[in-house]
Amino acid sequence: MSKQYQFKLVLLGESAVGKSSLVLRFVKDQFDDYRESTIGAAFLTQTVTLDDQTTVKFEIWDTAGQERYKSLAPMYYRNANCAVVVYDITQSSSLEKARTWIRELQRQADPNIVIALCGNKTDLAARRQVSQEEAKKYAEEEGLMWAETSAKTGEGVTEVFTAIAKKLPLTASPAARPGAGARASPGARQGVDLNKQTTAQGQNEACNC
Amino acid sequence: MASTIGIMQALISIFIDDGDKLRCINAGQARITFLLRPPLYYVCVSSWGEPESVTRTHLEYLHLQILSIVTASQLRRIFERRTNFDLRRLLDGAESFLTSLLDELEFDLGISTSSLHCLKLELNLRKRIAETLVPTGKTKEMLYVMLTVEGRVVTLIRPRKRSIHPADIHILLNTIKSPSISNSQASASWIPVCLPKFNPSGFVNAYISFLRDEPIIDSSPSSSSTDSIKDGATEAREPSISLICISGTGDFDYVKDWCEGAIKKLAVDGSLRALTKSILSQQTEYTVAEVGVPGLRHFIYKSRSQVQITFPVFEDPYNNTNEKRRLITLYQTLHDAIHAKSGQSEPLKLQYIRTDTESALGWITQPFELYIAISPLLPKSAIIGAANAVVRWVKKEESRLFLRDAPIF
Ligand SMILES: Nc1nc2c(ncn2[C@@H]2O[C@H](COP(=O)(O)OP(=O)(O)OP(=O)(O)O)[C@@H](O)[C@H]2O)c(=O)[nH]1
Ligand SMILES: [Mg+2]
Repeated sequence: MSKQYQFKLVLLGESAVGKSSLVLRFVKDQFDDYRESTIGAAFLTQTVTLDDQTTVKFEIWDTAGQERYKSLAPMYYRNANCAVVVYDITQSSSLEKARTWIRELQRQADPNIVIALCGNKTDLAARRQVSQEEAKKYAEEEGLMWAETSAKTGEGVTEVFTAIAKKLPLTASPAARPGAGARASPGARQGVDLNKQTTAQGQNEACNC
Repeated sequence: MASTIGIMQALISIFIDDGDKLRCINAGQARITFLLRPPLYYVCVSSWGEPESVTRTHLEYLHLQILSIVTASQLRRIFERRTNFDLRRLLDGAESFLTSLLDELEFDLGISTSSLHCLKLELNLRKRIAETLVPTGKTKEMLYVMLTVEGRVVTLIRPRKRSIHPADIHILLNTIKSPSISNSQASASWIPVCLPKFNPSGFVNAYISFLRDEPIIDSSPSSSSTDSIKDGATEAREPSISLICISGTGDFDYVKDWCEGAIKKLAVDGSLRALTKSILSQQTEYTVAEVGVPGLRHFIYKSRSQVQITFPVFEDPYNNTNEKRRLITLYQTLHDAIHAKSGQSEPLKLQYIRTDTESALGWITQPFELYIAISPLLPKSAIIGAANAVVRWVKKEESRLFLRDAPIF
């Protein structure tokens, strides 16, 4: 008997650590040496089949690591079932940033969220600044999953997502479309107040279609 | 570079001190044009020979694109705190919006004429698509819904009380087109964007879905004609169709679900396939030959009431970049003259220019503006006849060329 699940996954981490590259490797099995920095957030889906014919469909939000999008993150993680927090093993500052994200998730996200800490760019091991021991120890202390990957070679990428798929509470109701998503949204970002902004300029030049 | 900026700053401040506005400096072949939008200054050095008003429009668009990323009030606040702030820090990762705009500006006739360029489409198909895209339910979440094909608008749906400025549409179109969005391989993006003519000091959210997954098209019931598309002489490339939904509030789950639902409906009722087919079979384009006016080389027709333009594809010789640039510069010169944009004493109704390569006419009336180019061998009287013939043709084709009566909600 096959079971289907659907989960929301969010990727967080400093700009340029390789979040989009990891997702692209996972979803399309591709890699670009030059990727444009993500704007806002990008949505992708991918399904993983586990050994026992269980399928897990991930709805992935790949967020922008640039500082100016920082305030948008709650919108993505507030309903997420799992989060992959990425750092770059060649940049110790990116692990610091990852720690900040993890603290924020622990405080603000769903208490049952599954968090994976992911050290990317293992193909650049010669320039390694973050040791496996250090990251692993931190992950253990915080009760996080931990893995190293290379989006470039593909090493470890499917394994991370598969491990998350296995770890997610598979006892949850099958095809649980809302997942934890039916919750109220305290972190919802407020857009502009449209009622206050009725003075659209240049009415005369506006399109009349 | 640093010294260039130093000279620019010195020039600008001399004029500011005199309480004067520095607009441009002519230096031989080149012209240096300034646009002051404090706290930012824009400078362009150009030797294309386009009218000054055109360069200013380009600089203005650059400014609008920057505002779309950081908003006017953010900019003001930052530069109030630190006058020597390096703007690049705020624009990190957004450079591609500016570079793609710079590429676009030169040839974008919609921007040159401050109007919308719609996709030519059968009236009924456009109508069916639009009806599917009218927001239902929590319409407060929705501000504008727009379906586009490679920079051209298929339909645009807006609330009854709110029109949309063409400049905001151009900024949105450029945003979607820039590689950080269009190359992302994602099925959708959710981005904060400031539409400067709508509200220069706040963000709205844009949910952008790319309707490029083949399964959507293949899964529709009558797929028998897919082969004929592939066999045709046209390239069997998937056209990039995007659905853009602008939301003023942050309820993004709602917006996402609504957009996904709308896309599914478009796929199921076959309109997505019909649209793709029209594009691939090039029914969404037309050549100047179809207009059937001897000697006619090219034209731009602007419907002033709809604020929309239409023009045929750029064919030989204008498929060559230099020739195309020359023609567009000619159009821009006519546009400048009939709108008296460069301090001419009064606008002209008609402006005729004859060069070695073509004769061109700009003509403005209450309902339209027309810019046409014909063979330079034809007499001046021929161009008037050609202009009238183009106007008649456009009138006849109007229902396909322009977006009219788009639903409002
Ligand atoms: N050598 C190597 N380079 C990588 C790897 N993963 C990503 N990169 C490169 O790192 C750069 C940044 O990658 P992105 O995937 O765009 O980073 P990001 O985390 O999505 O960045 P933002 O979207 O700005 O938040 C790109 O040039 C990638 O090619 C990897 O595993 N190995
Ligand atoms: Mg990215």
